[in-house]
Amino acid sequence: MASLITCPHCGARPKEEFSVRGAAMPARPSPMAKDEAWHAYVYIRDNPKGRYQEYWHHAAGCRRWLVVDRDNLTHDVFGVTDAADFVQARGIE
Amino acid sequence: MSINLLHRHVLEDYISGFETDPNPNHVAVSRRPVIFSVLAHRGQETAVAEALGSAHGVVLRFCSPSEWLLVSRTAGPATVAGILSDIAGASFADQSDGRVLMTISGPSVRNILGKCVAVDLHPEVFAEDYSANMLFCHVAANVARSGPDTFEIIVPRSLAGSAFEELLEMGREHALTRGFSD
Ligand SMILES: [Zn+2]
Repeated sequence: MASLITCPHCGARPKEEFSVRGAAMPARPSPMAKDEAWHAYVYIRDNPKGRYQEYWHHAAGCRRWLVVDRDNLTHDVFGVTDAADFVQARGIE
Repeated sequence: MSINLLHRHVLEDYISGFETDPNPNHVAVSRRPVIFSVLAHRGQETAVAEALGSAHGVVLRFCSPSEWLLVSRTAGPATVAGILSDIAGASFADQSDGRVLMTISGPSVRNILGKCVAVDLHPEVFAEDYSANMLFCHVAANVARSGPDTFEIIVPRSLAGSAFEELLEMGREHALTRGFSD
């Protein structure tokens, strides 16, 4: 796993300061969506090898949710954004 | 350095009592600091940060883009609460009983803290008056540089004992002493 993550608010930090909370790309269904949509969102996930966007919580730092764009094979980190900016850029609430 | 711990027995402190006379490297714990936690409402971050920055008698510690700690050794909690209630778009809570404030200073301070945090504390990166939340001796803490060789560390009360003990252990080779500041 990438051992240094550059938080947009705190700078370069060791991975021990973060907790990882899974894939960021699946879009959360609306509250009234069908059970099938929620089942797919909660249980059916890809397990990709390579480039991957993931939610990281900077638990011991700014306590913001971040999206880390990284390669889980080579450990390269391509970018880290605040999750609020990530969601806004994607155009969903 | 006035006391060289190389010639001091490892159990000296436990048999003869702890050394509290400050050495060049010293940790001072404040007995009654006033510490408030402040959160800015959505969209008010810049306005609140500006208002907090111009408040008198208090120092501002950065936690996140919308969260700060307001620290004072001189003003009382009522005064600080008064300052904060005048700021629009901010919520605050008195954390004085929930946090512990330690000040570490001395010529070896960066060598000691280098074993406590995984953040670059070089003055060109972590300049004077700079502050941030970081893992300090396995505890989520706020660390600030208040002088060239002086740092202020704020830890949660329940974890203060653990962080303090580990800090002393890291400072032992530099003859780090400890005491209350007031
Ligand atoms: Zn952060």
